[in-house]
Amino acid sequence: MTGITTHVLDITTGKPAAGVQVELYDVATDPPTLLNNTKTNADGRTDSPMLPGASARTGQFELRFHVGAHFKAPDGLSDVVPVRFAVFDAAQHYHVPMLCAPWFFSTYRGS
Amino acid sequence: MAKDDLLQPARRQFTLSSLAMAAAALVPTEASAQATEPAKPAQATGPIVQQGVSPRLTVHALDTYHGTPAAGLRMDFSKLEDKKYKLIRSVVANATGRSDEPLLIGDAYQAGDYELLLHLDDYFASKSAKLPTPPFLSKVPVRIRVVNIAERIHLPIQFGPWSYTYSRGS
Repeated sequence: MTGITTHVLDITTGKPAAGVQVELYDVATDPPTLLNNTKTNADGRTDSPMLPGASARTGQFELRFHVGAHFKAPDGLSDVVPVRFAVFDAAQHYHVPMLCAPWFFSTYRGS
Repeated sequence: MAKDDLLQPARRQFTLSSLAMAAAALVPTEASAQATEPAKPAQATGPIVQQGVSPRLTVHALDTYHGTPAAGLRMDFSKLEDKKYKLIRSVVANATGRSDEPLLIGDAYQAGDYELLLHLDDYFASKSAKLPTPPFLSKVPVRIRVVNIAERIHLPIQFGPWSYTYSRGS
């Protein structure tokens, strides 16, 4: 499998974060180019990959997680969380999850 | 008490200089960042307690790849104005992984949207870490919102070449 996928987990509930808006941008262009705009499903994943394998390529990408609208915490630490990363080998799969709470955000290259 | 501090510059200055002295005492003299050798764990660097200090925004960056403070990490600090992040200043993390001064303090500590752009590519290159080109993480934006300026915000950031975490600390 190739392309870019994500998974949003709400660590305040220990459950998938459903209905979170997630965007994928190509940030090598100025301004960034929107490639995908979707919402997480009941499992916290997107129904289809953020970047499908057929479109896999190297480049600089940015996932944007609209966590503020999800948590609705008036004093939340972040509203939209960007995760900017490079795909350096298009033959590899890039899974980039987001573990979050209103005041905590963690991401990593997953599998 | 926090509000009183804001209204009493002299008292605030005292608090600040106490902090600076405490920080200086904790920094080993040989701890300046060396580009060629892997950093050694700075275990002589103890925690810095900020409980009770006046409202401010502070940052603490830790390198979980080497198990050290992110000494030498460049961070561009910007504020969102007219839909664009406008640079306030660029800082370099000191031997404790902190900026020498708070990012915002006193009258400068205003509600709004801010960005810290972490230069992780330059940082790991300076450590001679073997990573793909381009690395997975290069210039990493951490965007936070300051809502209540009566409360200070401490922003700890832990990062490696393949992951990062940030949160509201204390």
